Amino acid sequence: MIDPAWGPFLFDTSAESWLARSPEPAVQEWLQLYLRLHQVNVSVVTVVERTRGYALSWQRAEEKRRPGIEAARVAYLRQLGRVWALDAGMGIVAGEVMALLPHPPTPPRRAHNLAESRQERLARWRFDILIAVTALVLRMRLIHNNAEDFESIRGAIERWPSRFNKLGPLELIRCTLVV
Amino acid sequence: MARRGPRSKAKRRTTLTLPAEALEYAGRIARSRKVNLSTVIGEALTDGLRIHQATERSEEVLNSYRQAFGGMSEREMMLLDGIVLEPLRRKR
Repeated sequence: MIDPAWGPFLFDTSAESWLARSPEPAVQEWLQLYLRLHQVNVSVVTVVERTRGYALSWQRAEEKRRPGIEAARVAYLRQLGRVWALDAGMGIVAGEVMALLPHPPTPPRRAHNLAESRQERLARWRFDILIAVTALVLRMRLIHNNAEDFESIRGAIERWPSRFNKLGPLELIRCTLVV
Repeated sequence: MARRGPRSKAKRRTTLTLPAEALEYAGRIARSRKVNLSTVIGEALTDGLRIHQATERSEEVLNSYRQAFGGMSEREMMLLDGIVLEPLRRKR
């Protein structure tokens, strides 16, 4: 179990929603305890991904569904905890990682008759890099739900320490393993 | 003109009815630390309220999360997590 007192942690986009939606009482207890001690820390990139997601859902929804999506968006933005902006240091480190790992480690997602485009996959990969380097530069543990992407980034940082002066390791916590 | 201290340091006199056992315990702490009873009760109350406030804040965030994600479909949740899926084009 990950002690919430070890926080604050940086929450990746999908880890935040996985924890918030988990039906497991132990996970809910963990999140409740964490929130008593700390704010949810996220990268501004998570705010971008989330806001874009609400906007796309709204655009694609029927008229009668839209007020519900808008209410959900407002509720999400109302509870935002600490949002970390990107800075020059993060930009430099992200540029190094993107050069070392230009391609996503896994193919675009597919589900039934739906698929993610290559462009979308690349954008999501680069967003993950920005989130990871935010955690790295802030020296925060990153709670994630995407082992392939974040383990690749961690591996690159460990393989080329000369490119990441005194930074690292990137400490990862899989959200499914917090309890 | 005398300046007032920070608002959190301001004190007010009041009368409270407290559990005898807790009061005795607070009295023992006050004697051992050589401070007055008001100091010990004030610290205990402040700590208790801080915990209460943290619990309230935690509940507020969880409630907002329920509103933010609760009514969303799986496909909408993928969009919210940054995964944009489009219908596959059928090959002719």
